[in-house]
Amino acid sequence: MGDRSGLQAASQLFWKQGCTMMFKDVADFCICVSMTRRGLRLGMAKVTQVDFPPKEMVSYSKETQTPTDTQTHTQARPEEEEDEEELAEAKPAEDSQEKKADQEEKQEEAPPKELTEEEKMHLLHSDEFLTFFDRGSRIVERALSERVDVCFDYSGRDLEDKEGEMQAGAKMSLNRTFSDERWSKNRVVTCLDWSPQYPELLVASYNNNEDVPHEPDGVALVWNMKYKKTTPEYTFHCQHPVYCVNVVGTQNAHNLISISTDGKMCSWSLDMLSQPQDCLELVFKQSKAVAVTSMAFPLGDVNNFVVGSEDGSVYTACRHGSKAGISDVFEGHHGPVTGLSCHSAGGPVDFSHLFISASFDWTVKLWTTKSTRPLYSFEDSCDYVYDVMWSPTHPALFACVDGSGRLDLWNLNNDTEVPSASVVVDGSTALNRVRWSHSGREIATGDSDGQVLVYDVGEPICVPKPDEWSRLVHTLMEINENRDEGDELAAQRLVA
Amino acid sequence: MAEVEETLKRIQTHEGVIGTIVVNAEGIPIRTTLDNSTTVQYAGLLHQLTMKARSTVRDIDPQNDLTFLRIRSKKHEIMVAPDKEYMLIVIQNPSE
Repeated sequence: MGDRSGLQAASQLFWKQGCTMMFKDVADFCICVSMTRRGLRLGMAKVTQVDFPPKEMVSYSKETQTPTDTQTHTQARPEEEEDEEELAEAKPAEDSQEKKADQEEKQEEAPPKELTEEEKMHLLHSDEFLTFFDRGSRIVERALSERVDVCFDYSGRDLEDKEGEMQAGAKMSLNRTFSDERWSKNRVVTCLDWSPQYPELLVASYNNNEDVPHEPDGVALVWNMKYKKTTPEYTFHCQHPVYCVNVVGTQNAHNLISISTDGKMCSWSLDMLSQPQDCLELVFKQSKAVAVTSMAFPLGDVNNFVVGSEDGSVYTACRHGSKAGISDVFEGHHGPVTGLSCHSAGGPVDFSHLFISASFDWTVKLWTTKSTRPLYSFEDSCDYVYDVMWSPTHPALFACVDGSGRLDLWNLNNDTEVPSASVVVDGSTALNRVRWSHSGREIATGDSDGQVLVYDVGEPICVPKPDEWSRLVHTLMEINENRDEGDELAAQRLVA
Repeated sequence: MAEVEETLKRIQTHEGVIGTIVVNAEGIPIRTTLDNSTTVQYAGLLHQLTMKARSTVRDIDPQNDLTFLRIRSKKHEIMVAPDKEYMLIVIQNPSE
């Protein structure tokens, strides 16, 4: 039994601490000291060593099955149940069961020969396969085109001079060319637009391909700037060539506006495209229908707009109200107006009264809604100017494209005589359309051969400095003065 | 259907692509550009691996699912685009 005095000392200690404790001893015996009021009571108790396993956290979670998941869940659950059943059966480890499992596996290896060609073709034509393939092939094509090698080892190798550095100071550099052998070749790019929601997506519409009459006349392709793959993300066809469409308004209250050369402007609700919501005949001076070739809405305005016509005049008009229809005429161009753009770069000064027009008469003209005579005429081009667009971020910058394949950038604050940047597209194509991306850093242009080219614009050119707005105010004043002087001189000459 | 053929051809002729296989839910190849024995080997092994990968993802989170599987080895890259019913396997040699 142990040392009695030691025990007494220990028991006194515990008496003070007031606890019960079990001594683990070599033998199964222990001395337990229990505290009671009457005094110490020593006794012998057998100890059993108990090891508690870690507490198992059993949790149950209730999941609501959402409609999209029900199918997969119901399919998955029976499989899991079957697996569990199989496991439970296998555990007793009966030879016959194991043999059966082996046989099943062997049978599974044999099947590759069991599907006949007919069955395969049947599968390949099924709807599920087509849905799967549409998605799967798109992902795979994107993955195939990305050549990022995460395992690349830089050590001990000479880094080649990056060509990109040379272009850092360049004004405009070609970033991507989008063209599809089947759907865009030989068709003219009729319209371009950048997605406001996904800045890397760009939609281009195409005219008909005269060489292939049995293919659909109208094609629209969605291109993706983010991935290096060279095929469109989505392809849409329709029977008629697509010329131009514009969606105006906010996300909740919007209309699709279309204008055609018969002078009719229709507004459509995207829910019902079989009939226009309302039509407006655009007639000038109650007789002449305006043959509209281009239109533009000022930023944020859904009622007032400008249209350009075949006869070279630009008209302002409004859709609703007592004065619905044509309001003013702006004469100045000597040829059909091919493109219009309303000033949209927001800033400290409001320039929304400014708009520019491009025409077959080789010029781009700057107008203000406050005056029916053009403010300025840009005459640097030697071919039909097909399209023009203000930069969405820089108040004095706009781009124009012409039939000789030239893309020009004009900065009113720098120079109004010559463009600040210019690039000619390879090949003898005419550029039909130009569109700035929403960030104002890239320009997309479409040519007469179905190619869509995206250019990166150098920072010094496209990023506005804070004083651009005030500088533009001065520039406009100068332009105004020059115009008035020019008119006076012209008037004097006439008199003389 | 012709579009499927076209797309398969385009994938197959992409730079560095060694082979393209379409496999059904049971691991049986239904379209392939490789020889029979290689196809059977790839289809069987990758089918099992994809099933395992998918069940791993779902065990961690039952509401999640496998969308793409990419195996990078010293010599090749194997890409698997899985689905409920089928699987598209593409083997590419990325260094070319």
